[in-house]
Amino acid sequence: MAKVLIPTPLRQYSEKQDSVELTGSTVGEVLGALTAKFPDMRKQLFNDEGKLRSFVNVYLNDEDIRYLKKDATPVAAADTLSIVPSIAGGSAGVAPPPLASLSNDEIMRYSRHLIMPEVGMEGQLKLKNASVLLVGTGGLGAPLGMYLAAAGIGRIGLVDFDVVDFTNLHRQIIHGTKDVGRKKLDSAADTIADINPNVKIEKYDTMLSSENALEICANYDLIIDGTDNFPTRYLVNDACVLLKKPNVYGSIFRFEGQATVFSYPGGPCYRCLYPEPPPPGLVPSCAEGGVLGILPGTIGLIQATEAIKLILGVGEPLVGRLVLYDALAMRFRELKLRRNPECPACGDHPTITKLIDYQEFCGIPHHEPPPAPGLKDGEIDPVEVKEMMDRGSPFLLLDVREPHEYLICSIPTSKLIPLGDLPKRVNELDTATEIVAHCKSGVRSAKAVDFLKQAGFKKVKNMKGGILAWSDKVDPKVPKY
Amino acid sequence: MIKVDPQAWQVMVAHAEAKFPNECCGAMIGRIDGDMKNVVSAEPMENAYAGAQGARYELRPEDLLEADRRARAAGLDLIGIFHSHPDCDAYFSKTDLENSCPWYSFVVLSIKGGKFDHANSFLPNAEQTAAEKEDLIWPKS
Repeated sequence: MAKVLIPTPLRQYSEKQDSVELTGSTVGEVLGALTAKFPDMRKQLFNDEGKLRSFVNVYLNDEDIRYLKKDATPVAAADTLSIVPSIAGGSAGVAPPPLASLSNDEIMRYSRHLIMPEVGMEGQLKLKNASVLLVGTGGLGAPLGMYLAAAGIGRIGLVDFDVVDFTNLHRQIIHGTKDVGRKKLDSAADTIADINPNVKIEKYDTMLSSENALEICANYDLIIDGTDNFPTRYLVNDACVLLKKPNVYGSIFRFEGQATVFSYPGGPCYRCLYPEPPPPGLVPSCAEGGVLGILPGTIGLIQATEAIKLILGVGEPLVGRLVLYDALAMRFRELKLRRNPECPACGDHPTITKLIDYQEFCGIPHHEPPPAPGLKDGEIDPVEVKEMMDRGSPFLLLDVREPHEYLICSIPTSKLIPLGDLPKRVNELDTATEIVAHCKSGVRSAKAVDFLKQAGFKKVKNMKGGILAWSDKVDPKVPKY
Repeated sequence: MIKVDPQAWQVMVAHAEAKFPNECCGAMIGRIDGDMKNVVSAEPMENAYAGAQGARYELRPEDLLEADRRARAAGLDLIGIFHSHPDCDAYFSKTDLENSCPWYSFVVLSIKGGKFDHANSFLPNAEQTAAEKEDLIWPKS
């Protein structure tokens, strides 16, 4: 009689006994006696061909029978047989068992994809099993999110910490007028869910940073950069290079845009194109320089197209090529980009092996110094300017904005001389007259005041906060832009 | 449903975080009462996978046999296996499925950036073709 120890999960088949005494001269005979006594245990241990299942190991005392004589291993009366599972596994870079089919509703929804052999059922399932991270749900993120959702991407991550503002609406079509004041994440998620409820949306209400970028990006097959600042561009680039994930890049300014795919095997990264960031303030943002509202639509959809192509594995990816788009000329050009073997991120001997401080790298101070309380020397409050007007004090209100801004709104009695024209039109001004300069928010008029002082004007002041502060404090009928 | 007691959970998470960025593995010991499984202790085990362990693990059957003996001696049972997925969600991967065993609960801990993120428990079938998700209760601090 040999003793067989029954593992817990199998005791439901052994009348709850944790060990059984059985007769047999070999392991094969003992196991035969076991399954004869408890027939239901047979299919747990053996497959349909009568072989031990791959996960079943049998130990004679402390020895695996595979290293003895297997089934023929002799068994003595004092021996103990143990049934031990063999267990292994691991994420192994293998995605979860892919969703292997589409519902009837999905088949109807994607029918125009399914009838194209380049997509077909196989491609549509690739899209369904794919995950994409959108960094930013603004100008580029809006068309990206909407079209990628419609196309059937299974999982979309959204990173944004901003709130919808009226000035976003002329281009960020994922948000509507009703959404002003809401979190962009919530508004974007609602739009995506409405377009395609099959999409799993993951929201990250945060600013992408060196602390969280690897963690967030690691969850997605590819990353799409829809941001508008240099620290985040370098951060997304480095995170993608470190994680070996493609970075679908796009950028926009006024009437022009660019797009390419970085961090694709063998291709360049953003640092190969721009090893160093520009000095702070050199490149104006869209808030400063403006942007044609439909421009991000064009660039965002180039990015979306490339994302879909990468997932489907069709066509020629936009790798090693930078597409330049000029909306005014309606012309696309292409620049060749090469991976730089000396690149600190993706080169042959990378020196960037973890994420760094990107604010510092881009020369941006961590915390803006707090504005000095009250009025600085040479500044005047809009309320005081209004009182001077009401008193009838003789002074000149000088508007240094651009003519197209003057057409949006202006303060009565003001004289318009754009900042850039001031040097050649300075003779229109009288040094004896008191002058108050203003612009939109007070930055350009401060430069005008500096210029005039150097030109010998002594009685010049800057209206603090510009016409925006005038609208807030003096006349709310003046629109803000 | 499988419920993990605080002390056992602490051992599992600490082991998974300590082994990051590699996968960890171990056994869960406890009691089964009808549909309710209760893990009272966890035993970290060595990852015996021979290659890179960033996305693979393997348990030595000898270690499991030993754990099973100790559990029996304490009047408890070996009821589950845990392992970690570094920088990866706690899904049951194809590799997990193809090397699984239907007798135990398989708890997967997602460790992201070295910190515990979330976990799931799975019950694979005997053919190793599918795994059913099992309700998992762990102590939330």
